[in-house]
Amino acid sequence: MKKVIEVNNLTKEYKGVKAVDDLSFDVNEGEILGLLGPNGSGKSTTINSILSLLNYKSGNIKIFGKKMDTNAYDIKSKIGVVFQDVAVFDELTVYENIDYFCGLYITDKNKRKQYVSDALDLVGLKEFTKFRPKQLSGGLLRRLNIACGIAHKPKLIFLDEPTVAVDPQSRNNILDGIKKLRDNGATIVYTTHYMEEVEILCDRVIIIDKGKIIATGTVDELKNLSNIKEKVTVEVLDLSDKYIEEIMSLKNVDSVIYQNNELFVTYKKGKNNIVEMIDYFKNKRINYSKIFVERPTLNDVFLELTGKELRD
Amino acid sequence: MTVFKAFLKILNRNKGIVIMYTVILLVFGVTNMSTNNSNNLFTASKPSVLIVNEDNGNISKNLVKYFNENSEIKKIANNEEARNDALFYQDVSYIIYIPKNYSSDFLSGKNITLDIKKTDTYNGAYAEMLLNRYLNVANIYQKSVSDENELINKINETLKKEVKVEVTSKLNTGELDKASFYYNFMSYSMLACLIYVICLILQVFNQDKISKRNIISSTNYKKSNRILLLSNFLYSFVLWLFYFIVSMFIVPEVIFSMHGVLYLINSFIFMITCITLSFLLGNLIRNKNAISGVVNVVALGSSFLCGVFVPVNLLPSFVLSVAHIFPTFYYVEGNTLISSLEDFSFINLKPLFMNFIIMIIFCIVFIILTNIVSKKRQKIG
Ligand SMILES: Nc1ncnc2c1ncn2[C@@H]1O[C@H](COP(=O)(O)OP(=O)(O)O)[C@@H](O)[C@H]1O
Ligand SMILES: [Mg+2]
Repeated sequence: MKKVIEVNNLTKEYKGVKAVDDLSFDVNEGEILGLLGPNGSGKSTTINSILSLLNYKSGNIKIFGKKMDTNAYDIKSKIGVVFQDVAVFDELTVYENIDYFCGLYITDKNKRKQYVSDALDLVGLKEFTKFRPKQLSGGLLRRLNIACGIAHKPKLIFLDEPTVAVDPQSRNNILDGIKKLRDNGATIVYTTHYMEEVEILCDRVIIIDKGKIIATGTVDELKNLSNIKEKVTVEVLDLSDKYIEEIMSLKNVDSVIYQNNELFVTYKKGKNNIVEMIDYFKNKRINYSKIFVERPTLNDVFLELTGKELRD
Repeated sequence: MTVFKAFLKILNRNKGIVIMYTVILLVFGVTNMSTNNSNNLFTASKPSVLIVNEDNGNISKNLVKYFNENSEIKKIANNEEARNDALFYQDVSYIIYIPKNYSSDFLSGKNITLDIKKTDTYNGAYAEMLLNRYLNVANIYQKSVSDENELINKINETLKKEVKVEVTSKLNTGELDKASFYYNFMSYSMLACLIYVICLILQVFNQDKISKRNIISSTNYKKSNRILLLSNFLYSFVLWLFYFIVSMFIVPEVIFSMHGVLYLINSFIFMITCITLSFLLGNLIRNKNAISGVVNVVALGSSFLCGVFVPVNLLPSFVLSVAHIFPTFYYVEGNTLISSLEDFSFINLKPLFMNFIIMIIFCIVFIILTNIVSKKRQKIG
């Protein structure tokens, strides 16, 4: 597999405090790599360092096999970046904004027209070309931000939390669009603190916390790191302590929490533990409104590795 | 090209402001002129001159006569302290000391310099111009004519002819006053339009989020910045050119003469000063909403203090001393000097050139300050 980005021992300090601490990882051609970590874990700092927007203390960064620096315009021409903060001109329309940022890379007028139109299609802003950014909802604005970053059809795309504070419809549109970009051959680095997005989207995930990598792998591989193998949730009213203790002693059960009329049971091994749970409730003639089983989430993995939740 | 296109679009969306200030110029600059009785204004501004004559000869009497005709001769108590006071309070703008035996020394061809004292005002400069004109003519004839009466007649004839020629050909003081008024007013419109647009453009492109996007793109960032700089210059130049073309319709006689060339140069240098000032302000302001406020304070404030709306001689002297810190002051004074010029000898043009140089010094200071401010800014970013 070809490596598009190689990061070796990247360290970045702000006034002596390490924001990124000796980070090393590669990004492979054609994959969506997720950088997953809570707010302040160093995701944006990592991206900005890779792009040479920040001076980092130490480390080695290669993109497309060449050393990245501020004057590497041949590398820059193949990169698209969507920053965490929406970066568009309030004075220009949706179309003019995309045209401007695309124009920084694509000088051919006709080609650019086609590219801008493609970008509008991708993010679903065709009907809003004459709107000003101030007239767009938060979700549409984020989509515009993305269109501006990817209109020039870059081979490598960085997206820094592009879905923060976005309505579900826009979020789905954005995630679909990103998949399309990958299917068209782009390599994508995607940062987020939403584990659900990573599960839907990413081929590979790097979990970072306090500027350090704490785990790397596919979503499945990461979930296998977890001690928990299954989670069963039961919605049941007024369960007495007696039953809870009995459930504790059922086969394979690891932990039991009952709160707000919801029972959370985790298992360290076994499959189909839910069957036993259903039997138990049947035998005891307890009525429940809902019961379901889940695999562990990345949040569980994160919780086990760091002792805290991904989201605060 | 992309940057220039974005510049034009943003400019286009904000053309309302530019049009507004231009209309103000046309309405006030033009209507005010047509109601101006410029002859009155002109006679009102005859310089007041004091001549301390210790000579009894006819040559010096003739000089006094000449000033009697062309200026207002003042009588002040016969001591130096009173004279200095008169200068200080601007009761007198110009004092000429004629030494003993001036007439006979002059006739014998001795090189005599007259002591003078003057105020730094338009009237002072005007009186000096009158004196220089007289002495130039007198020196020329002294070399060829030896008879005292004949010499005096020749001098007076020539001086009269010169004035006549100027009145019929070019020194149409009414038109010149119109031109000065238009060009003075133009400084307000131009300053406002330049500050507004340049500050806005800088605000828009200097936003962290936008400059970050520009930096990571494959377009050279320094080149983009240079294009932006050139765009601002081009806009300023076009605006200045437009205002100049308008003046060709309002005061054509003046514009197509040496006076017109000087107005052109003066306003061009002033435009450059405005650009550099706008860049400084654009780097100081950190908020788009502050721009209109800054335009009002700087453009309106300085224009008022520097005599753009109200003639300088109606402003209290403390206002005038404050006005010296604005380039507009030197521009307006330059226009006044131009309108009073009768011939374009170096001596007469010197005060105007001084004002040009002062405006250029303002430019340099603004550029240096802008560099300091923008460097500080980059460090914070
Ligand atoms: N300009 C800055 N100055 C000082 N500290 C900063 C700056 N930017 C980020 N940090 C710190 O660096 C750490 C990582 O921040 P960031 O990369 O923005 O995290 P993330 O993008 O994962 O939310 C945080 O602790 C943050 O407070
Ligand atoms: Mg971030």
